[in-house]
Amino acid sequence: MTALARWELRRQFKDPGVMAAFVAGAAVLALFVLYPTLRVLTYPSLRDYLEVPQSVRWVQAARNSLLMAVLSTLSATAVGVAFALAITRPDIPGRRVFQTVALLPLFAPPFMVAFSYILLFGRQGLLTRTLLGLDVNIFGLHGLWLVQTVAFFPLAMLVVAGVLEGINPSLEQAARNLGASEWDVFRTVTAALARPGIAGAALVVAISVLADFGNAVVIAGGAPLLATEAWFRMEGMADLRGASLVVAMLMIPTTALFCAERYGVGRRRYTTVTGKGSRIERPPTYPALRWIVFSICAVTTILVVLVYLGVIAGAFTAVWGRDWRLTLDHWHLARDRLQSLWASLRVGVGAGVVTACTGVFLAFLTSRASSLRWMLDFLAVLPGALPGVFVGVGFVLAFNRPPLELVGTPWILVLALAFWHLPMGYQASVARLKQIERSIEEAALNLGADGLLVLRDIYLPLLRRAFVEAFTVSFVRAVTNVSIAVFLVSPGNVVATFAILNMIGNGIWGGAAALTTMLLVLTFLTLGVARATVGRVVRAVPVS
Amino acid sequence: MHRRLVFLLVLFLLADTLPVGAQVRRIVVYSALPDLETTLIHREFTRRTGIPVEALSVAAAGTLAARIRAEKDRPRADVFVGGSADFHAPLAREGLLLPYRSPVAREARINPAFLDRDGYWHGWYLGVLSIILNTERWEREMAPRRVPKPATWDDLLRPEFRGQFIMPSPVTTGAGFIFVAGQIFRLGEDRAWAYLRELNRNVAQYTPTAPGTIALLERGEAIVAMMWAHEGIGARRLRFAPLEVIVPPDTAFEIGAVSILRGGPNPQGARAYVDFLMTRTPQDINARYGFRYPVRPDVPPPAGAPPFESVKFVRYDREWAIENMSRIRERWSREIGR
Repeated sequence: MTALARWELRRQFKDPGVMAAFVAGAAVLALFVLYPTLRVLTYPSLRDYLEVPQSVRWVQAARNSLLMAVLSTLSATAVGVAFALAITRPDIPGRRVFQTVALLPLFAPPFMVAFSYILLFGRQGLLTRTLLGLDVNIFGLHGLWLVQTVAFFPLAMLVVAGVLEGINPSLEQAARNLGASEWDVFRTVTAALARPGIAGAALVVAISVLADFGNAVVIAGGAPLLATEAWFRMEGMADLRGASLVVAMLMIPTTALFCAERYGVGRRRYTTVTGKGSRIERPPTYPALRWIVFSICAVTTILVVLVYLGVIAGAFTAVWGRDWRLTLDHWHLARDRLQSLWASLRVGVGAGVVTACTGVFLAFLTSRASSLRWMLDFLAVLPGALPGVFVGVGFVLAFNRPPLELVGTPWILVLALAFWHLPMGYQASVARLKQIERSIEEAALNLGADGLLVLRDIYLPLLRRAFVEAFTVSFVRAVTNVSIAVFLVSPGNVVATFAILNMIGNGIWGGAAALTTMLLVLTFLTLGVARATVGRVVRAVPVS
Repeated sequence: MHRRLVFLLVLFLLADTLPVGAQVRRIVVYSALPDLETTLIHREFTRRTGIPVEALSVAAAGTLAARIRAEKDRPRADVFVGGSADFHAPLAREGLLLPYRSPVAREARINPAFLDRDGYWHGWYLGVLSIILNTERWEREMAPRRVPKPATWDDLLRPEFRGQFIMPSPVTTGAGFIFVAGQIFRLGEDRAWAYLRELNRNVAQYTPTAPGTIALLERGEAIVAMMWAHEGIGARRLRFAPLEVIVPPDTAFEIGAVSILRGGPNPQGARAYVDFLMTRTPQDINARYGFRYPVRPDVPPPAGAPPFESVKFVRYDREWAIENMSRIRERWSREIGR
C-alpha cells in the first residue's frame, strides 16, 4: 500500500459518516445478497458438486451457455452502442423513434414476446411461411441468438448512452482542432472515453444472457442451457439440489467476467465532468458512421415493432395465429385480473426505488479508494449472475424463519427484485461516477464539507440521471419478472406476470396477451410520469 | 359461445374467491391444477364445509414442490394438490408430508393402487399418455399422401413424420420420463433404447416443459405429438384447437395426487379437504373441465375420452421407475438427448 493510499484510508476512517455508510452498505449487501446466495450454494453436498462433470447434459448446458454468452453479448452490445450513438447525436435521422423503441424490449414478460417470435418466424409464421413461403425452424441456439440480441441490447444502450452524454464535446473539438480526421476523433476520443461504459454494458449484458431464462425457455427448444436447466430441475423434477448445482456452475463464468471487466477497465480514469469546461454544440457525425448506426437501428426497430404488434394483435383477435377475427373476449378475462396489475405496480415502484437508492449509494462508496471496495463491488454485481428462480429460492430459504421473517409479505418480492437488479443500477452509477473529477470533491472537502455532505451536495445532483436510469430499469424488469415471482408471490399478492404465466400454462393465450398489453400501458404511464418529474430536474442541473 | 361462457364463469368464480379475510379456519392450498378447476372445486368445498380456501395455483407441480421444500422450516400451505404422485412421493420420503387415510376413500372402494401404502398421498385423478395430431396440418400434408393415422407407439417411427414429431423432454418433464419408462416396460430395456433412438430421428423438438408440447402442436409447429390425452382433449374442447387424440395400446398413466403438508397451519382443515377430494363432486368437476379420469368408479369418464377400463396399459412398475429415474435420464442424455 502506498503512503498516499494509507493516508486516504486513515482520512476516511476518521470521517464517521463515511465509516458508518461503509458499514451500512456492507451489512445490507451481506444480508440481502450474500446470505441468500450462501443458503442456496450450501444446499447441495460436496459429493453432489464432485459428480457434476460426470453428467453429460450439464456439460452440454455449460458449453451452450458459454457460446450464447459470447455471441449474444457481442451482438447485443454492438446494437446497444449503435442505439446509444443514435440517441445521443442530434443529426441521426429518427432518433426519437429509436429512443422509444429501444426501451420496448424491456417492457413485456419475455414469455409473451418469445411466443410472438414463434408466430412471426416459426414453421407457421406470418413472415416465414405466409409471406415468404419458407419452412424455418426458429427453435435452437440460432433463434435464441436473434431473440437475446433484441432482448438485451436496451441494457447496453442505457449504460452506454449515459456515458456518451457525459462526454464533453470540447474534447472532440480539441482533437479536431489539432488536425484529427473525423474517424480518428471517433476512434481516439469518443470511443476511448466510452470504453468503461461499453465494457460495463457488456458485463451487464453477458450476465443477463447467462442468467436469461424467459427467452431461452421458449426458443432454445431442446438445447440445454445452464439458466433454464436450473429452472427445469425445479419445475420438472422439483430438484432444488440439482438447481443449486447448476447455478453454482453458472457463477464460474460470471465471476470470470467480473474480474476481466475490473482488470481491463477499472484501472483507468476517464474524467470529463471537470467543473471547468463549458458545453459546446456537438459537431456533425462522421457520415459513414451515421449511416451504419442508422441502418442497424432501423432494422432492429422494425423487428421490435413487429414483435410487439404481434402481442397486441393477440389481445384483439379470436385465436392468436390461427383465427384473426377481431374480438374483445380476452379483455373480460384480463379485466378480472386488474388487482394483479396494481400488485405489480406497487412491487415495481418499491423495487425501483430500492435499487436506485442502493445502487447510487454503493457506487459512491466503491468510487472512494478503500481496501474494502472490491468486496462491496463484487457483492453489488453478483446478483446479476443468479437466475431469478435461484434468487427466489434463496430468499425463501433465508427469510422464512426468524429473525427476519418476510415470506408471505409483499416485501420479500420487492427486496428480492430490487437486489436482483442491483447490478444494473450500480453499473450505471459507477460509469457516471468515473467521469466526475475528484477535484470537485476535494474542493468541497477543503472548504470543510464532510463525506456525507459531499455525497449529498456534489454526487447526488450529478448522479440524478444514474438514479433515474436505475429506477427505470429496475422498475421495468420488476414489473415484467416472472422467474422470481413464481417463488415469492403469496396467495392474495399475485402479480400480473404470474397471472400471465398461469394463463399461458393453461393455454389461454388471448387473455395472456390482453393482460400483457394492459401491463405495457401501465408501465409506459408510470415511466412517463417518472420522466416528466425527474427528467426535467436533470436538465435543470448545470452539469458543466 | 361456449368459450365465452367458460370465461365468464371463471371470471365470476374468481371474483368469489379473492378476498378472504384472516379467518382462523381457512386453509391454504398449493394447486398444480389450472385456475378453472381449482376455483370450481374450492367453491364447492367451501360451500360444503364452511372452510374458506386461499389457493395459489401454478400450472407446474415441480415449482410448487420445490417451493414446499424451500419453506420446510415454516410451511405456509396446508395442502399440495395436483401433479403426479411422483412429485408427492419424494416429499413424503423427506418427511415433509403428514400421513392420513381418508375414510371416504375406503367407502368409495377406490383402487388401492391409486393410494399411497403409507397414507402420505391420495390419488384422485388419472392422466393417460396419448398420441395427438394437428388435424389441420394432417389434412393438408399427410392425408393427400395417404399416410395412415398412427394408432400404436411403433407407428410414430414412420419416416413421413421426420421433423414433424414433438414430445416433452424425458429429462425435464414427468410426462417425457413416464413415456420413456413406459417404453422400457413395453419392450424391455435393450429394445426400448433402440426404439427411442429410432424415434429420435423423427423428433423436431423435445420441449422442456409439458405444456410447451401442446402449445406448439396447437399452432402447427408440428403435426404429431406425444402428450397427456387430457391436455389434447382440453385444448380441443375449450379452445377449439384442431387436435385429434389417439390413445394407443400399452400406454402409461400418471396418478394425480393430493397430500397434507406436515406443520401446516390447519391440519384439521387439510384432512377435510382430502376427504372432500375423494367424493364425487370434485372428481366430476375435474373430469368435466380438466378432462382427467376420476379414480372413483362411480364418476363418469371425461367426455371425448375412451373409458378407462377400455384403455390397454403397459405393466408400469412405479417404484422401479422412480428408483431408476436418474440412471434412465442420464442414459437418455448421453445416447439421445440434444
